[in-house]
Amino acid sequence: MHLAISLDIAAATGEAVLDFSRISKFVRQAEAAGVDMVAISDTADGLSSSPFEATTLLAALATVTNRIGLVATASTIAHQPYNLARRFASLDIISHGRAGWNAMMAQSPREAANFSRPEGFSDTDFRRRSEEYIGIVQGLWQGWDADALLFDKSGGRFHAPEKMHLLDHKGEFFSVRGPLNVARSPQDTPVLVLSGLSEADFDIAVRTADVILLESGSVESAKARFDDLKRRATAAGRDPDAVKVLTNISLTAEDKPAATADRLETQFRARSCDGFNIELPAQRSAIDDFADRILPELGQRGLVRESYRGTTLRSHLGLAGGGDQ
Amino acid sequence: MTARMKLGAFLWATGHHIAAWRHPKAHVNAGIDIDHYIQLARTAEAAKFDMIFCEDAAGLREANVGIASQTSRSIGFEPISLLSALAVQTSHIGLVSTASTSYNEPYGLARTFLSLDHLSGGRAGWNLVTSASPIEAANFGSTGLKPHADRYERAREFAEVVTRLWQGKAPGHDGQSFSVHDPLDLPRSPQGAPVMVQAGASDVGRDLAARTADVVFTAAQTFEEAKAFYDDLKGRMAAYGREPDDIKIMPGVSPVVAETEAEAREKHEELQALIPDDVGVALLSSYLSISDLGRYPIDGPLPELPESEGMKSRQALVVEQSRRDGLSIRQLARHFAGARGHWRIVGTAAQVADELQARFEGGAADGFNVMPSYLPGELDAFATLVVPELQRRGLFRRDYEGRTLRDHLGLKRPA
Repeated sequence: MHLAISLDIAAATGEAVLDFSRISKFVRQAEAAGVDMVAISDTADGLSSSPFEATTLLAALATVTNRIGLVATASTIAHQPYNLARRFASLDIISHGRAGWNAMMAQSPREAANFSRPEGFSDTDFRRRSEEYIGIVQGLWQGWDADALLFDKSGGRFHAPEKMHLLDHKGEFFSVRGPLNVARSPQDTPVLVLSGLSEADFDIAVRTADVILLESGSVESAKARFDDLKRRATAAGRDPDAVKVLTNISLTAEDKPAATADRLETQFRARSCDGFNIELPAQRSAIDDFADRILPELGQRGLVRESYRGTTLRSHLGLAGGGDQ
Repeated sequence: MTARMKLGAFLWATGHHIAAWRHPKAHVNAGIDIDHYIQLARTAEAAKFDMIFCEDAAGLREANVGIASQTSRSIGFEPISLLSALAVQTSHIGLVSTASTSYNEPYGLARTFLSLDHLSGGRAGWNLVTSASPIEAANFGSTGLKPHADRYERAREFAEVVTRLWQGKAPGHDGQSFSVHDPLDLPRSPQGAPVMVQAGASDVGRDLAARTADVVFTAAQTFEEAKAFYDDLKGRMAAYGREPDDIKIMPGVSPVVAETEAEAREKHEELQALIPDDVGVALLSSYLSISDLGRYPIDGPLPELPESEGMKSRQALVVEQSRRDGLSIRQLARHFAGARGHWRIVGTAAQVADELQARFEGGAADGFNVMPSYLPGELDAFATLVVPELQRRGLFRRDYEGRTLRDHLGLKRPA
């Protein structure tokens, strides 16, 4: 099964701040255990105790890890699509093909108030805008063919002009000419993760996402939703296996490792998801507990892979694309 | 202790020379190789540079794809990501990146730079620019490029909001271009606030710098130009209640340095010969604000030109030089393509140090932003040849005295 860990560094708990060395130690532990990816979010609705923003932290983590996928949350309100596409394309090159963008499909009123959008968007406008935004970002990520860079010093040809493509997008909310001024991703495009989905977002998600994070419910309801999403993906012309559906699991410090592993194993065997996204609070105790007790338990039961087969996040997730398929 | 000069290492992919990437020893993969930058940052840190400085543009730098494909500048790292990676791979050197006020929002940008500041333990700086390129504008909506005055008004408002955010205050701002309600949700900077750098040389740009900048990056060919800019900018600061020493003025300089003068000249000629004619002529055309220079014989003289509505002073400079030195279009193109209008010194370490010392001691600069012609070679040469010479003369530090960028630059901690 696929396993992601979400670390919300912004959740203020009044505890000691998670400094970089503590966070990187934990991510390396998760890497040693073969976890597919760590997703960093920093969406506090109030004051945070974390000194970091997610994308900058991801860049730093990329230089102290080798294999684990690194995903940062970034909202479509806080960035222009061209800037966001560049940021993640860069992170992907810095991490040698391990980066992903977690786009939040739910609006944050606090964000709107600080990004010159005091009125926010209506739900339907936000949905249409999000889909347009995601299309632009994915289009920009495909602006350079894999063999566009020639590096031909003596011939004076740095890149092949015909292998660089304009986007020329003119839509309802954005107009973006392109191309991106960052080279193509080592995994073709960074991984797109969608979270905060309502039912109305499902069709956008199956058309665009590589990974969908869903709230947990009963095994039966999760199974029905999982089957529904895979059907929708097929209807949208995609291989249902090209969209990985992960169920969010919130852990608290007092969870027993065996009980947690039982819970994941039962849900996974019922084919209610492709794997799990473990949500950890920014508490040292919860993080230490997870790394020291729960990860080894999952490993003993063979629920987490023993080692990475490839080097890119796409290869960990069994997705097409990327240099080492 | 006498004042020491400040030094920035202005890193630009394969180097600042337009043909740098073609040099046999240039690292051609620069735009996709993080290890290249980690190595450069460590070289600069070992040489005790104050900071690394990164350029930025939110789009291609050249509209003509045929020309662009003969340069290395169409792809590279987004600099904030790049510097965040370098932050944890270095321990002392300052990390400064350009970011435009035209296509960002103050809350997001203030937050991102503050995060970089925390990652680096107080070594971050932001180079504030406004964007004048139509290529960039086309990536951010269809409304077109804004007039100069509007861009600077937005920049002024932007800087004001960022400053309040970095002070830990709630801006409660509802202005012309932005509305920002809350304080930042990150703790205060280890150095009080990230360092604010500016590069604008226009009248309104100088006023904005005099009011808000900690460091000013500028281009000046001659001592007289550099001195006039220095005196003018420092003279404007009193109006904003600031001391002249509150801003460090660091003009760009692109050295080509070697053990002997003959070697340095040879290295320079080698780079100049690598400039493709159409790339050189395209750059020259942009300086002259005309589009059809390519239809004149390349070894002939510059034709008579209609008066420019674009960069008037730059056009006059080029025309004057072509007449005075009797240069052909090809020769002119190579001359101006080399250092993009920045000050170039070709010579030995002693010769380079002499020139830097003259401007520093003559009150025309507080330091320099060093623009290596090609990388990593020219940064290595500066670090191993020029830095020890400057240290011998007591003009540059032998070791860092503090940990933050403000410590290195001798800047006050903001309230």
